[in-house]
Amino acid sequence: MENIFAKKGHSSFSWEKLGDIKEGRGDLGEEMPVLVYRLMQYTMLDVLTKAHGEEQANDYFRNAGFLAGSEFAQNVLDLSVEFNAFVANLQRTLAELKIGILRMEAFDPSNGDIVLTVGQDLDCSGLPVTDETVCNYDEGFISGILEAYTGKKYAVREVDCWANGDRVCRFSGNVVE
Amino acid sequence: MGKGLLYFAQSVRELASLAKDLANGELSGKMPSRGNEMASSLKSLHATLKHLTWQTQQVAKGDYLQRVNFMGDFSEAFNTMVEQLDERQTALMEEIRRSREKELALTQSNNLFEAITRQISQWIIVMDKKNRRWLFANHDAGGILFDQACESHLREWLASRAGDMENEPRTAEMELTNGEITQYFSVVVHPLNWYGHNSLAFVLTDISHEKEHLQELENAAYRDTLTKEYNRHYGMNILNKWLTHSYTFIICFVDIDNLKYVNDKYGHAEGDKYILCVVGILRDFSSDAIICRLGGDEFMLLAQGWGMNDAEERFETLRLRLTAHNDQLGSFYNHSMSYGVIEVGAGSTMSASDLLGIADEKMYEYKRAHKAQRNATLTS
Repeated sequence: MENIFAKKGHSSFSWEKLGDIKEGRGDLGEEMPVLVYRLMQYTMLDVLTKAHGEEQANDYFRNAGFLAGSEFAQNVLDLSVEFNAFVANLQRTLAELKIGILRMEAFDPSNGDIVLTVGQDLDCSGLPVTDETVCNYDEGFISGILEAYTGKKYAVREVDCWANGDRVCRFSGNVVE
Repeated sequence: MGKGLLYFAQSVRELASLAKDLANGELSGKMPSRGNEMASSLKSLHATLKHLTWQTQQVAKGDYLQRVNFMGDFSEAFNTMVEQLDERQTALMEEIRRSREKELALTQSNNLFEAITRQISQWIIVMDKKNRRWLFANHDAGGILFDQACESHLREWLASRAGDMENEPRTAEMELTNGEITQYFSVVVHPLNWYGHNSLAFVLTDISHEKEHLQELENAAYRDTLTKEYNRHYGMNILNKWLTHSYTFIICFVDIDNLKYVNDKYGHAEGDKYILCVVGILRDFSSDAIICRLGGDEFMLLAQGWGMNDAEERFETLRLRLTAHNDQLGSFYNHSMSYGVIEVGAGSTMSASDLLGIADEKMYEYKRAHKAQRNATLTS
């Protein structure tokens, strides 16, 4: 007999499905080493690249990052405050969750163009230099946050990356009509 | 190998160019090419400077929410500065809010003040303390200000009170003459901030009736009803005061001759005329002399600045002017007066009544001497 009370599977994301981490990891706690995060991230990238090619795999990562950014913004950030307060809150929250050190470089209120850097990035800081930008997930993550806040579609591209020999990752965002 | 050296040389050139830009504070110059690992630390510094530029611009715009993290002592110093700016801005905004509340309350109070002043009978005038211009006048006061002479006098008087005005209300009395009418006012002066002007509010209460009534009471208490000169009580008070202050002055005791005869023979109405005639003569002694009717036919005259001889000479002249009435047609009794003058020095220790007694005695000596002289003239 089918269990009609069972929730949909974990292949469909919702914020609630992240579960009660405190309860579930009573002894080990809510945190874990970055190593484990990257182990999952780059093994998954490896598998997806082999299955669908590098460009498609990067797109999957970017789309996943966008979903994460949207959900993160809607469930963690205060979207009702004005822009300066939103940026200050975002910067503080990313540092508290150890995602990275966000630093604004420029914002043009007339067209929404934005330039920011993420230092000590969860995804890439410390990676071997391979002459490529690898923070596709971050691109989507930032894009999802900006869209959730502004209501406008953002195209975010990584300009500089640790994996490209830089010390910080720089992202440039533009509103897409 | 050659390509490697060329790439290395280009990387060094890019590094040097970025270093030069940073040294000049130029953050918008050309950046090293991607993959130039040698320039990575300088690019990181460039990113930090760009971020700090944005942060500083935000602070300049009044955005005190931003914080600088993970930059060691600089972060702490910058964030402390921004927090202090934020606190000062908050305190300033609070001060502005309170000031606006006070301004509103002041405006409301002024409106109430104006409304009340329009209902009351007192004159209320507000004057700018600096340029002496009228800022407000209620209905009654507004009327008087249209009379140019009156307005001019009023402005002069009020302005004279403005100079030494402190922060406490003061009361003064003002006399305002408009044509033949003289009005008296009690004036209370209040320092006041009138819509931002450092001002004085004058509240003028017409006390003319009170003044008139007071004058009547004073007359009743201190004046003789027939002659309007001072009475004995007031005269003795003045005498005592002059003695207390050790003034130098003369006392003259004056007696009207034959008053009883005139009263008995021609009636008191004629007697009163005789008294008024003598008083008229006495008033010519000096404009600042104090004349008191001690009772019946007796008067006392007090005057400063006179020696005894000069005073006696003056009284003799006056007596002769009085007796000159006897030569006029229709004069049916002798007009005459007797007097006794004494001089009181600054060191006098005698009492008022003793001094008056001496003057009285001198007057009797004079009267006896003149009676004898008159009898001798009649019998010769």
